[in-house]
Amino acid sequence: MMKRVIYLLLIIVMPIYALANDEANILLKKGNDQYAKGQYKEAITTYQKIVDDGHQSALVYYNLGNAYFKNEDVPSALLYYEKAHKLSPGDEDINFNIQFANQKTTDKVEAGTEFFITKWWHSFILRFSLTTLAVMTILFFVAGCALLIVYRFTNSVSIKKWSFYLALVILIFGFASMFVASRQDQYFDAHHGAIIFSTSVNVKSAPTPNAKNLFLIHDGTKVEILEDNNGWTKIRLASGNEGWINASDAKEI
Amino acid sequence: MKIKLSILTLLLCCSSLIFAQVKFTASVNKTTIGTGEVLEVTFSINANGDRFAPPAFGGFQVVGGPNVSNSMSMINGVTSSSIAYGYDLVPTREGEFTIGPATIISGGRSYSTSPIKIKVVKGQGGQANQQAQQQQSNGPDSRNIQKGRVSDISKSLFLRAEVDKTTAYMGQQIMMNLRLYTRVNIANGEPEKIPDLNGFYSQEIKNNNPNAQWRTEILNGVRYNVTDIKQTVLFPEHEGDITIEPSVMNFIVRQQAASSSGDPFDAFFGGYEDVKYKVKSTPVVIHVKPLPLAGKPAEFTGAVGKFNIEASLDKNDVKANDAINYTIKVSGAGNLKLLKPISPTFPADFEKYEPKITDTITINASGASGSRKYTYLLIPRHQGDFTIDPVKFAYFNPATGRYVTLTTQAFHIKVAKGSGDGSNVTAFSNAGKQDVKVLSNDIRYIKTGSEVNEVGSDFYGSGLYYFLLILGPVGFIGALIYGKWRDKNNADVVGLKSRKAGKVAAKHLASAKQQLNDKKAFYENLFRGLYGYLSDKLNIPYADLNREKIASELKARSLDESLINEMLDTLDLCEMARYAPVSGITAQQVFDKAQNMINNIENKI
Repeated sequence: MMKRVIYLLLIIVMPIYALANDEANILLKKGNDQYAKGQYKEAITTYQKIVDDGHQSALVYYNLGNAYFKNEDVPSALLYYEKAHKLSPGDEDINFNIQFANQKTTDKVEAGTEFFITKWWHSFILRFSLTTLAVMTILFFVAGCALLIVYRFTNSVSIKKWSFYLALVILIFGFASMFVASRQDQYFDAHHGAIIFSTSVNVKSAPTPNAKNLFLIHDGTKVEILEDNNGWTKIRLASGNEGWINASDAKEI
Repeated sequence: MKIKLSILTLLLCCSSLIFAQVKFTASVNKTTIGTGEVLEVTFSINANGDRFAPPAFGGFQVVGGPNVSNSMSMINGVTSSSIAYGYDLVPTREGEFTIGPATIISGGRSYSTSPIKIKVVKGQGGQANQQAQQQQSNGPDSRNIQKGRVSDISKSLFLRAEVDKTTAYMGQQIMMNLRLYTRVNIANGEPEKIPDLNGFYSQEIKNNNPNAQWRTEILNGVRYNVTDIKQTVLFPEHEGDITIEPSVMNFIVRQQAASSSGDPFDAFFGGYEDVKYKVKSTPVVIHVKPLPLAGKPAEFTGAVGKFNIEASLDKNDVKANDAINYTIKVSGAGNLKLLKPISPTFPADFEKYEPKITDTITINASGASGSRKYTYLLIPRHQGDFTIDPVKFAYFNPATGRYVTLTTQAFHIKVAKGSGDGSNVTAFSNAGKQDVKVLSNDIRYIKTGSEVNEVGSDFYGSGLYYFLLILGPVGFIGALIYGKWRDKNNADVVGLKSRKAGKVAAKHLASAKQQLNDKKAFYENLFRGLYGYLSDKLNIPYADLNREKIASELKARSLDESLINEMLDTLDLCEMARYAPVSGITAQQVFDKAQNMINNIENKI
């Protein structure tokens, strides 16, 4: 019975990781070669093709971001870095390049300093990607339940003891990863970001063209999207300033 | 009057003789001097005096003094003091002059000196000649000074800002010369407004001679006295038309007053009138061209002119931690002062200090030229063979309109192990270690994985996710239910036996069937099969089983009377058949009957 469950799981879970088809892999290799030769413009076209085909891959997003950065298009680079970050929040390289590219943007937005526990908590929940966490949760639950079944049916006292405690621990892990996954999901829901693409944007006090200009931001700045209204988007900077911009001035991550 | 004076003098002399104490005398160093020479006159009194009044030095000009000297001495308890007043005089003209008496009051009495006659002859010797020469070079040539009244000064006195070129490249040097043209006598001149020279980096050419150098120049057929007031080297800082604002100077022009008498003395002393006059130069527009973009080398940092570059190294075989000097010398003509620091790349193991910049730049009428030396102090911190890469230096040559790139030679340096290293190691094992040097920052390289690891972000929260999530718990619950059901069945031993009874009977019947021919064995097996079946089915131990018990138990399970009787008959028959032959019924029929009965019982219980 247990064997059957594992096979079933493998059959269902494996494709999530190994869906990438050959065509995309060939394009990726081509893009990497072009990047290595310094043909960043060509590399952008190649990577973009993979993305346009509907593939969501942190690796491709990251490489595309790099190619954009080398092509001196910092806003696009940041957009794809952030996309990669969302898929793989714990990746050191991605986080480093986001920080590095942010040095090249015009606006210096001072984020309010996070309480160290909050900061630690965020880095903890962003350690693994959402999909990894989801798969981990499933595996923990299946393994824990399987161990409980063993506990139920075995006649050996020592196996009964061990399987019970092990199952308990694994199930706790399962619940923890489920919780972390839900927190991460909620985090990205709450931090629904966008990158400013227009060279300079007047942030207005209301979603009308005649509204007062509150402040000025420039391309490459990351903003948080709060709500949409009729072609206008309410945004918030990391520093806490809020206002309305034209939806076309920013691209969602 | 004269008599009165002489009487007074006599009386004074007498009194001085009488008192023999207070003496007030005048003395000169010589009585006959040439013009231009200095005459020293001293008035001295051998007592305390005040309210000293010098005479009028007619015919002389006072060039020094009064120099007052006091002296006091005590001899045999007697205090004596003296005061001397000294003057330096220069005769203004030849002739005989008298230095009049000076007066002083001492002890309530007035004393005066006797007049001194001085004869002034025509000056001889170097000093006078020198003055004459100076006059010639310093002052405007008197031949060009217009005699008579100048009605229109502007034609005779004007300023011109002259530039050597009006079209220049950015950074190309331009000489600007502010010249004064005059045909009138100037008593005094002072600048009122000096242009800011915005848009230029400017350097004034220092004139070592404080006196103006006059020369004659013919302009539009008119002779002028010309002097350079200010010479400046300009380096345009941005492209476009740059205007040099006019300079303004105020002059006091000495014009000969209309005088009827031709008396030369009159002319010298009072025959002139001074007129204030403001002079303004015309603005100059310089057209500054941008440096061409075509062929601009990457190393170009703004040097315009004509340059040469050389690099040198004081030693190329050193020990670690020994200093070496690397020098780059840029020489030539152009905007040397504006050169951006050259940044050669040194091996990362070399400690580099800010270069010492030594300028040897002379700015003269031909522009700025000279050399600039960058001296880098380098300290190799590690042994090995190193190379200082050639330094590239690019400049724009405005004469040819092209960029020129110069390259210095490369240097190979052999660094031996430093003497200090060994001792460090014994003291602290990691004293010789050093931090990894950060040379520059860049983004991290792409991930070179060859597979598009597609991770759908929408897996979390999908139906599949929840299905898989509940799979484990559901399996577990299923297993629990299964276990419970199994336990329940295992615990009901009677039911189990009863259920198994049919199977046991079938087994016995089967073995009985095999022995249809051996009647005795057949009936024995059949009997045992039925008995065992009933024992299991009715839950009666085999030993307690008898005819009555079977009948009552079967009845208790509400079986048909006929079936019970049939069963009892069959059992009786089997028992009987074990000992005596059976007639009227075949073994096959008994077997079928038994099987039917078991089936019937199975169906009912």
